[in-house]
Amino acid sequence: MPESKPSLSRRRFLEGAALGATAITVGPRRASAQAKPTITYWNGLTGADGKIMDELIDQFTRETGIRLEQQRIVWADLYAKLQVAVPADEGPDLALIHTVEVPHFANDGILEPMADSTTSAKGFRGEDYLPSTWQGGMYQGKRYAVPLDVPQHLLYVNVKVMRDAGLAGPDGKPRIPTTRDEVLAMAKQITKGDTFGFAIGTANPGRYTWGFHNLLWQNGANVYTADFKRSGLGEPAAIEVAEFWGAVQNQHKIAPPANANCRDAFIAGKLGLWIAGSWNFTGLREAKADFVAAPVPRLFKQATVWTMPHQFTLPKKKAIDAAKRDAAWAHVRWMSDHVAEWTLKAGQVSALRKPHGDSRITGDPVLRTLLGQAAQWQSGQATPKWVAAENITRPVIENVYIGQKPAAAAMGDLARQINALPD
Amino acid sequence: MKPRRARRRGAFTPYLFLAPGLALFAVFRVYPLLEGLWLSFTNARLGRAQHAFVGTANYVRLLDDTRFHASLVNTAYYTVASTVPILAVPLVLAVALNRGIALKTFLRGAFFFPFTLSVVTVGLTWLWLLDPVIGPSTYYLRAAGVPVRSWLADPNTAMWAIILTTVWWVTGYYLVIYLAGLQDIPRELYEAAAIDGAGGWRSFRSITLPLLRPVFLFVLVTHVIGSFQIFGQVFVLTNGGPGDATRTVVQHLYETAFQNFFHFGSASAMAWVLFVVILAFSLLQFRLLRGHTQY
Repeated sequence: MPESKPSLSRRRFLEGAALGATAITVGPRRASAQAKPTITYWNGLTGADGKIMDELIDQFTRETGIRLEQQRIVWADLYAKLQVAVPADEGPDLALIHTVEVPHFANDGILEPMADSTTSAKGFRGEDYLPSTWQGGMYQGKRYAVPLDVPQHLLYVNVKVMRDAGLAGPDGKPRIPTTRDEVLAMAKQITKGDTFGFAIGTANPGRYTWGFHNLLWQNGANVYTADFKRSGLGEPAAIEVAEFWGAVQNQHKIAPPANANCRDAFIAGKLGLWIAGSWNFTGLREAKADFVAAPVPRLFKQATVWTMPHQFTLPKKKAIDAAKRDAAWAHVRWMSDHVAEWTLKAGQVSALRKPHGDSRITGDPVLRTLLGQAAQWQSGQATPKWVAAENITRPVIENVYIGQKPAAAAMGDLARQINALPD
Repeated sequence: MKPRRARRRGAFTPYLFLAPGLALFAVFRVYPLLEGLWLSFTNARLGRAQHAFVGTANYVRLLDDTRFHASLVNTAYYTVASTVPILAVPLVLAVALNRGIALKTFLRGAFFFPFTLSVVTVGLTWLWLLDPVIGPSTYYLRAAGVPVRSWLADPNTAMWAIILTTVWWVTGYYLVIYLAGLQDIPRELYEAAAIDGAGGWRSFRSITLPLLRPVFLFVLVTHVIGSFQIFGQVFVLTNGGPGDATRTVVQHLYETAFQNFFHFGSASAMAWVLFVVILAFSLLQFRLLRGHTQY
């Protein structure tokens, strides 16, 4: 059977080439128009909560097709990087930051303002959120952030340590202190050898400013006066707090040394009463530590509880890519809709009110404790100088903690340093 | 005789070879240096688009910055206090290893191993070792009945804990330098000294030490420059604490530039003061040691 040779005329060749060229140039454009964008997302969730965030982001990508390239950086470095990257137009499409960082980043033009029309169109309404968290996203009348959750302090009570110190009831449950006198009495009973009764803070309790702020707020003091014109740390109420800060280590001798790792000490059964962040509790469960969670005791005038809400922000871009911006909003919306999962797995109470009634959340004793503190929540002041003031506070309160400097002199010096902070 | 044009072309050849290196040096070293100098006379702040010339205001402010003064004193203290162990410990080990003791190769590797670790790994390891509650040192000292103290939380001992960590970390590196220097010393000198009745200590004092002078100069200068720039160990181990007891210039500079308001102007002024101090010390060391070097 004779085979007929396929012939290729010049016309057919040119037609084929034209078709191929069209396919090459048009095809990918159609494909890219359909492809979902990939956005960059920076956050500082370097603890156990980071793994939970990974799981939720994977689920988000599966459901929406939008991919998130995360950079997970220690918070302090993340903020330095944002400050450098955004002016160079190298910032991320989405960033998770702490509430107290909003004022100075907004003031420096690092964050994109969010128009009310945009947030409401995306379904974010103030009345759905806890007021302090929603307000924390504002600076000088403009919105720069949408809140995610409310990391906060609570009291971890080490069951074994309490039992060993004879501080458990007949049912084996540890006694829970609620006042300063009770904390001091129990802590003294616990402290023996290398076991300590009481500590505030995770690593390096001496310079744990978040704990110091908690006590300031409990005593009605604050870093700045209400008008933000000067520091309030030279006031008697702040000095009283500093005296207590030093006394736990030097006078009562119930707290571990300044550079101790309190989390490890608690897990190792060397610490009885520990005021620390809510982000620790899932890790404690993983480490199989025997503990109960209790509200932060009232160590001064009021039982105020320190909080530091996480906020979603949109770092500024020189030219906004609409598809990426929409994708960033889509993720914020999705996380807000799935925030109950975040609360259950990462242990962070949501800024949105709705999940607070979820029976899975109210059924967890620790989450129930955290929610029960809501009436006492307080956050840092909305001034661009807050973070700088906090940074220079660390060595000063550490000097008080280790007994190197008297409380009154240290606070007076600190107030002067804060007042001298340049604009 | 070569024609003049060919000679002239030949004179340019070395510069052509040097040009790529010089270009990179100019872009990545000289330009940032001069840019830093300019910034030190401005109110530059990261995130602020405009900055204004403020004259010597940043330098004048340093005169009143008590924490900067403390950091200068701490840095000088660290440099001086760490120099003797950094010079002596690797030297003793190098002399011992150069004598052909058993397990020489293994020990060289073992001593060098810490230097292969990053400063963060070294810092975190020692932070755990020295932890006052759960650290192994605390455990064994307590078990031995020795009073336990918190090395890193005590202003009197924190800097020494950092020095100890640094010595452990860099000994292997200087050990290798010393070994290279020791192996360059001719054996005949020791043999002649032995024939003349010199003992080990006399040979060490009269042959080894003088002939190692160039190595000493290298170790001293690199160590002093590195000491003035110490940051990593302090950042991980104490973060400048307790209080400001271990705050060094670079730590203070870092916080000024990247944590407290991102004041690049002030931080650049600190960097230039540090640069001048390092330059002065380096020139002094060269002047003191170079003239007496014996080969």
